[in-house]
Amino acid sequence: MPRYGMAIDTTKCIGCHSCRVACQNQNGLDYKETFNWIKNRERGVYPSFDKEYIPLQCNHCENAPCQRVCPTGATFTSKEGVVLVNPNTCVGCKYCMEACPYKMRVVDHQLGIVEKCRFCIELVRAGGTPACVSTCPTQVRIFGDLNDPNSEISKFIAQTGALPLRPDLGTSPKIFYKRS
Amino acid sequence: MQESAWGWLIITYLFLAGAGSGAFLAAVACDLLAPDWSKALAKAGSLVSGPLVAIGTLCLVLDLEAGLWEPWRQIYLANNLSSMIAWGVIVLSIFIPIALLYAAALNEIGFIGKFANKYVRPLEIVGSLFALGTATYTGVLIAVVNGVPFWNTPLMPVLFLASAISTGLAAAMIVAAIIDVATIKTLSNFALGHVIFLSVEALVLMLLVFMSLTRSTEAAYSANLLISGLLSPYFWGLVVILGIVVPFFLSVIEYLEYGEMPKALVVGADILVLIGGMSLRALIVFSGTPPQII
Repeated sequence: MPRYGMAIDTTKCIGCHSCRVACQNQNGLDYKETFNWIKNRERGVYPSFDKEYIPLQCNHCENAPCQRVCPTGATFTSKEGVVLVNPNTCVGCKYCMEACPYKMRVVDHQLGIVEKCRFCIELVRAGGTPACVSTCPTQVRIFGDLNDPNSEISKFIAQTGALPLRPDLGTSPKIFYKRS
Repeated sequence: MQESAWGWLIITYLFLAGAGSGAFLAAVACDLLAPDWSKALAKAGSLVSGPLVAIGTLCLVLDLEAGLWEPWRQIYLANNLSSMIAWGVIVLSIFIPIALLYAAALNEIGFIGKFANKYVRPLEIVGSLFALGTATYTGVLIAVVNGVPFWNTPLMPVLFLASAISTGLAAAMIVAAIIDVATIKTLSNFALGHVIFLSVEALVLMLLVFMSLTRSTEAAYSANLLISGLLSPYFWGLVVILGIVVPFFLSVIEYLEYGEMPKALVVGADILVLIGGMSLRALIVFSGTPPQII
């Protein structure tokens, strides 16, 4: 069984937000609603400085705090290691939003449930890649099987030493960042 | 300051569940420890306990979205026992009926009261355990959240329990003063309760703030929001001065003067404790800051 993850190379990101638009398109989201974000921050001091763009979305943690606190069990981890939400049992209590240290979960006020990035699981199961990955013009994102040592993502992580954001928070995220 | 997913409805729930379970504990303490001169307070405490927790629970339900529009979804609420909300649902659905039965028993309301009157002691013992559970659980609910480091400390349930007892006692004293004006004199005996529990609350609050300042960057950020940042006027004004210091000294005077203090000041001190309790919960929720991730 695969264990899906993503690697993100922030040195390649130009902050164009194509990933956000592709995600909204794929998931039928309103223009104000999104499952991924690009945050930026300045690095270094003048005259040697630049701006880093950091694409963010659900980290699909192995030890997902949102799943642990979900009273109805609506949040679950699929057999491929993707953290998903059952829209039929979520009550919209928003406990998962408080529990997520990355603050990557969003309320869908139309359905009254709390949603999140689902790694475009329907595309992936059909043999494709998530919309944010295939649409990225600078190939910032690599999607693949973390269990397969020969997959592109496993090799990338091994070569670059890419790390999750704040691994010290102990949730074992499955999105790895190469930031320099 | 990042906006919390939870707002005033959850804050009101945290406050009312605390005050209601505290009122139950105050009522049981009065009925057991000093039965002759504290009957009025026991009756008043038992009367407000169930309704306060029930109104609080209603706020909790109103904060739901799909679970409010399609109420049958609420049957799933106890599915995952690793969630504190699931435990809360269980504790609340046992505590509220016990509190209402206890109110009926002490106040001899109808035939249910006559029936429940035979089981006052068992109601008090089991009810107290669930009251302690309710008061503590509201603190545990936010203490287990690792998305907000400021909340993620075992001091939180202790603070909520101390605040629940003082706000519960205040709610019971206000109702006792309303339903029986003659009790105003005996209320002075309970001012000592305020002196004790407001001190405990102040001590735990001080520990929480001091320890948060060194615990982690985010917890320190939250603590600084309270003591010197954007929220500091509310923290010092509403929680510390109006909610703890002023009622503390009013209660000391009330206890020493024994029944000589004007009624307005006695009830005023209790209202201040309630304002302080509500403000404390609001400020803890609003000062919650997530980890810096990028």
